[in-house]
Amino acid sequence: MASVTTMLRSAGRADAAGWRRFVPTPKVLIVGAVIVVIGYLAVVPLYYLLWGTFFGADGFSLAGFGRAYGNDRIVGLVGNSLWFAFGAAILSLVVGTGLAYLQVRTDVPFKSLFFAASIIPLIIPGILYTIAWIFLASPDIGLINAALKPIFGGAVVDVFTVWGMIWVEGLHLSPLVFLLMVAAFRSMDPSLEESALMSGASRWTVFRRVTVPLVRPAIVAAVLIMTVRSLESFEVPALLGLQNGIYVFTSRIYFTLRTYPPDLPAAGALATGLLMIAIVGVALSSLAGRGERTYQTITGKGFRPRPMELGRWKPVAGAAIVLYFALTVVLPLLVLVYTSFLKFYRAPSKDMLTSLTLENYQDLIHTSSAMTALKNSVLLGVGSATIVMALMAIAAWIVVRSRIPGRKLLDHLSFLPLVVPGLVLGLALSFVYLRSPIPIYGTLFILLIAYVTRYLPYGMRYAVTSMHQIASELEESAQVSGASWWQSFRRVLLPLLAPGLVAGWIYILVVSFRELSSSILLYSPGKEVLSILIFEQFENGQFPVLAALGVVMVLTLVVLVSVAYKLGAKVGLKQD
Amino acid sequence: MRKHVLGGVVGAAVAALVLAGCGGSPSTSTASASSDKAAKHAQSVYDQINGLTGEARTKKLVAMATKEGEFNLYTSNTDIQDIVDAFSDKYDIDVNVYRANSETVLQRVLQEAKASFQGADLIETNAGELNVMQSEGLLSDYTGALRDSVRPEGQKDGWTADRFNVFVVGWNSKLVKTPPTSLEDLADPKWKGKVSMEVGDVDWFAAMIKYYESKGMSEDDAIALFDKIAKNAKIVKGHTVQGELLSAGQFGVATSIYSHTVDKAEHEGAPVEWRSGSVQPVQPVVIRPNGAALVHNAKAPAAAMLFMDFLLTDGQKLLKDVYRIGSVPGQGDPLAGLETTTPPEKELLDDAEKWDGLYEKVTDGGVATGDQ
Repeated sequence: MASVTTMLRSAGRADAAGWRRFVPTPKVLIVGAVIVVIGYLAVVPLYYLLWGTFFGADGFSLAGFGRAYGNDRIVGLVGNSLWFAFGAAILSLVVGTGLAYLQVRTDVPFKSLFFAASIIPLIIPGILYTIAWIFLASPDIGLINAALKPIFGGAVVDVFTVWGMIWVEGLHLSPLVFLLMVAAFRSMDPSLEESALMSGASRWTVFRRVTVPLVRPAIVAAVLIMTVRSLESFEVPALLGLQNGIYVFTSRIYFTLRTYPPDLPAAGALATGLLMIAIVGVALSSLAGRGERTYQTITGKGFRPRPMELGRWKPVAGAAIVLYFALTVVLPLLVLVYTSFLKFYRAPSKDMLTSLTLENYQDLIHTSSAMTALKNSVLLGVGSATIVMALMAIAAWIVVRSRIPGRKLLDHLSFLPLVVPGLVLGLALSFVYLRSPIPIYGTLFILLIAYVTRYLPYGMRYAVTSMHQIASELEESAQVSGASWWQSFRRVLLPLLAPGLVAGWIYILVVSFRELSSSILLYSPGKEVLSILIFEQFENGQFPVLAALGVVMVLTLVVLVSVAYKLGAKVGLKQD
Repeated sequence: MRKHVLGGVVGAAVAALVLAGCGGSPSTSTASASSDKAAKHAQSVYDQINGLTGEARTKKLVAMATKEGEFNLYTSNTDIQDIVDAFSDKYDIDVNVYRANSETVLQRVLQEAKASFQGADLIETNAGELNVMQSEGLLSDYTGALRDSVRPEGQKDGWTADRFNVFVVGWNSKLVKTPPTSLEDLADPKWKGKVSMEVGDVDWFAAMIKYYESKGMSEDDAIALFDKIAKNAKIVKGHTVQGELLSAGQFGVATSIYSHTVDKAEHEGAPVEWRSGSVQPVQPVVIRPNGAALVHNAKAPAAAMLFMDFLLTDGQKLLKDVYRIGSVPGQGDPLAGLETTTPPEKELLDDAEKWDGLYEKVTDGGVATGDQ
């Protein structure tokens, strides 16, 4: 906390006139408030986790590290984990970046369909997406294998391998990269690419030598988040890896927390490992963002991003997109839709068609808490997405633009919640708010605080990445013309940041619908959210009902996201 | 305009958070005082009712419970909604239900207890978690004729079973023409890749090891048997996934699946069963009591107690409707004639690390590693 006060003090000094009048300016107030809020939100759960890691009932101890890392197969476990995490990160990076480039920078066909479809894998709850892939690509019962068997004479694809895990996880995470890169490409001045083309460079060379280097901060941010996310991922390793004995090291966090009493020291020791990786990552990403001017493509010079004509490649790109969506979105979604009309899953056949039923959807309507849960999820999703992105717009300014000493610390702070397991966050918050005089425990507010905390890291990456692309000369000229800090922030920076802020907002909205690990400890009767409902149906073994719920979620979120996208396009840069 | 909105939001958030963070002992001590008072009141209600039976008990309970009007139920039974609805209809008392997995229910109860927060009035969850709460002194005794009617395995210190989770060996009738007759069968290499084990079923594992020991096998031999079975097995996480993949044919046999999962799927027409016609189920079946308990500092002790009575009467019929197995043996007892055994609860509580470690080794070591 001491460094935060120093930061505040220096923020004050920077505005010496304000201190002299003893009236802090709005700038000092706002900046100070954002630093305090982020610091508070990030430090509370981490403190709880680390204290639990090092101080057991018998004082200081490192025994948790022994239990977490002292496994005789540790090398294999870490190897599997890294292979899986990097594989998934790279797959999602390639897919997400490619799709974003086509969407924003080219005249590729089916654009309107494209955006919603690109983020569907994110909307489908992990457990459903993974099981849908088992039904598609299991060597024993997979539909793809059944279809290809007559040609190849055996199972062609096997989802129960590390490659299968990378495939499912990578595709599931690719929307996060897609959204991040869409924002980056949108804020990029195409005149650089055009001049390269004009000078005779091929399209591929332009992409490699001009486009990619310009969006490097976004790429580094994406790899960082993806790797940490995949290292923490639970569903894919549990459902696909276990079957063939592929153990991933960090999914053990789950087992250490599941026993009684929960092995907080071991979970904390594992999280500490992640924390180290994350700190190195954040440091690398700010290194990549150095030499600021290199990435600033939004400058005083006017530009209108104009889509590149694909020419004769247009049909090829169109076909590739259709194929991609057929494989990654339509097939798993079809499996879900199909299952949602069944009483229990079995492979499609002619006589199956007669036993299709709407029963699962009726069950859903009759679930008393379904409407409340939907309402609460929308409230919390919109609320947490808005608060996080509002905080992060200011925080990104502090980190990238301000000269406040220790500003990089804020970047690190807001990344911390990424390594805190959801259940530990839940325990930390219930510990604090059960003892708070303000009645927050037992209300929706405690869930809001949990969600805002969990999504700080994502919001920060989205906002900082966008901020790197905006040249400071725009703000400076506004201030020279007599605008106050707040005016130039609101009238100049915010509109230019909009693509990144909207992308982050959409991401948070979507993932908040799925948040279970901290919600389940913190929600109260009558304050259910959708993920609790999913959990209930899942525990009950109602897989078809669950599939129906998944379909409803996809529909709801596609509508919400499309609206946000339309609105976002209006505030952001105009497209041709 | 936007300026004010943003400033307001941020300001309010800071104020709320800072205030909340500074809160501490004062509120806890007031909470603790009111919790102690509630505990005295709750105990007096329990004492009055526990001595009564029949008509007199119900009459008095209904009168007191109606005055309370509502109560909080914390449960890990995700199938309980029908029972709750029936109770509310009958007595016009609201039930606020908190549902989570048993580990989370336990975490929440312990967190609230440490802060002297009065959350649950009645807790309905798994044996292991209830035993922890009992050892922490959070539960109050429930007695009377209804408790005496419960299967003896379900009359526990501090809590009373209302249902049993029954672990059975289930199979896919399309894939398995000659079902296994014992768990030992599944150690045969002919079952390679056709069996599935669940990664978290430590209590089932412990129950079976203890059972084999009681039949004269050494612990090491029993574990070796499980190692062999695991070598044939695909490991899955979660009984729902296991049930779904069993009926889809991903594997032929599940070693420790809930009877109600199989029965429900079979009723829907899925090709799964754990007993059929002349085919005897694999025995022993492991039965694990799940129970309900009164809470020592309940705000609505009478309503909670009335619900407890309801669980052991009308509730038993409703459990049967969703293929669950109630704790009061009645007509058409689904466990009649079956050899049963229960998990060694005390050992699992005292030596959780040993059993978790053993089962982790079994599920780690085996699997189809490297064979596919």
